[in-house]
Amino acid sequence: MNSTLYKQMMKVQIKGIINYAFGSAFYMILMVWIYPSIADNAKSLNDLMKTMPAGVSKAFGLESGFNSFDSYISGEFYGLLLLLILTIFCIMLSTQLIAKLVDQGSMAYLLSTPTTRAKIAITQAAVLVTGIFIILLITTISGFIGCYLFIEDTEAFRAITFIQLNLGAFFLFFAIGGISFFISSLVNDEKRALGIAGSIAFGFFSLNLLGKISEKIGWLKNISIYTLYNPSEIVSKQADMIQSCMILGAIGLAAFIIAVILFKKRDLPL
Amino acid sequence: MLIAQGLTKTFKNGKGIKDVSFTVKKGEVFGFLGPNGAGKSTTIRHIMGFMKPDKGFVQVNGLDTWKKQGVVQKHIGYLPGEIAFIEGMTGKEFLDFMAAMHEVKDSAKRNSLIERLQFDIHTPIRKMSKGMKQKVGIVAAFMHDPEVIILDEPTSGLDPLMQKVFIDIVLEEKAKGKTFLMSSHSFAEIERTCDRAAIIKDGIVIAVKNIHELQTMQRKLFEVTFQHKEDAQAFLQSGLSGQLQEGNRVRVAVQGDYNQFLAETSKYNVRNIDVFTQNLEDIFMDYYDRREKKR
Repeated sequence: MNSTLYKQMMKVQIKGIINYAFGSAFYMILMVWIYPSIADNAKSLNDLMKTMPAGVSKAFGLESGFNSFDSYISGEFYGLLLLLILTIFCIMLSTQLIAKLVDQGSMAYLLSTPTTRAKIAITQAAVLVTGIFIILLITTISGFIGCYLFIEDTEAFRAITFIQLNLGAFFLFFAIGGISFFISSLVNDEKRALGIAGSIAFGFFSLNLLGKISEKIGWLKNISIYTLYNPSEIVSKQADMIQSCMILGAIGLAAFIIAVILFKKRDLPL
Repeated sequence: MLIAQGLTKTFKNGKGIKDVSFTVKKGEVFGFLGPNGAGKSTTIRHIMGFMKPDKGFVQVNGLDTWKKQGVVQKHIGYLPGEIAFIEGMTGKEFLDFMAAMHEVKDSAKRNSLIERLQFDIHTPIRKMSKGMKQKVGIVAAFMHDPEVIILDEPTSGLDPLMQKVFIDIVLEEKAKGKTFLMSSHSFAEIERTCDRAAIIKDGIVIAVKNIHELQTMQRKLFEVTFQHKEDAQAFLQSGLSGQLQEGNRVRVAVQGDYNQFLAETSKYNVRNIDVFTQNLEDIFMDYYDRREKKR
């Protein structure tokens, strides 16, 4: 870790991070804002859900229904929107932190200073993790603000469950960030890194979605790491949070460590 | 100060460098000449520790540049051939950042360099012209007062006035005992600054020559315009290696022996004589050609 590089990189990237964070927070507040009107019609909406194929409502995390705020937000926001926002963020930022610098050649400047490659890679990884953390922190805070402003029934909002939803998301994207960072440190071409990391992440994402839609191909979701984060089960207290967070943390950590080791040993076309 | 020993690297496409060896002494300016794709940049990448050699090693100040990453860079200043800065910064922010990375606190050297190269450090990098980026790069290479400075095509993009300023800076640093390795296409800067030069082609160092040797190998081209066409014809029969240009103009290449040339020309009425100096590039192209013919 090199603090000078960390500060500089954060300074360059913070605008992008804040944009994603505000985007996410905006959606969050929007969803909270419309919740009261949905809650009033919860019964009819639940009836509507029952008319839809079970697979579809399951795929989009709607099976927990609209009865409580938690199940509503877990399905509508944590089941889909946040996953999309943070997946895109992880792929984009991890590519910019290594592959882009190698592709453009500015990595040459970092390597010409008295710091090791391992330190550079660890610092860049720290920037990525900080980014994910900031986005989820702002999202969490916006959720609390939204509830304070728009939800009168204070019992509908369970703070602990809400924090668990965000914590689980952090571990999921620690793992996904690790995988895309791993690709970014191996590939010389920025666009290729983007393509490969994007295919892997959205591949996993689709496998999870497809596996949930149809029971027949349900095994598909078992090979996706998105399955380790199940917002509706977190809300219904069925999820083993500790176990899945540990697995996700281990995947992420392993990916980051291997990325640093390989980056250290690799020929760079600078 | 800088030793490359048996440096070998083969890429997947079969290209690469083979058994590149040379030594640059302290206080010496060493030129690295060769056409595009000859292996100059590959060698410099090894010197900078960006690549791991298949065989051989590079040492700067006694430190292996691949194995001692993070330490050896303290002694090295580097100007890349294709400059790319981190996006989203101004020139000043970039230089501040690089100074912090090099742990340089005294900005006197940097300020004097900026003043001499005359550029506005507050310009955002994405708005900079190539020459301006080059200037920022030069400041970044010199400002931490390194003992060894590696310059890849240093004057590309600089106007003639700034090229001169740059050469002055190199000569001053050289006088202070700094060691340089400079790759270049511009032979004027090599001629004016270098003590020795290595000539590389197809990944192999074909010669390491003293710059004075290279200069004496230099031929001069005289273009003589005679009064009459017949004179031009007669002149060509004299045994000098001449070539008829058009009508009464003759181009003659002379290396060393000016007396014969003068004696022959003075036999006729001469209207005009132009002199062209052959640059180092032509010399070393000759060098290639001759060696090719011998094979």
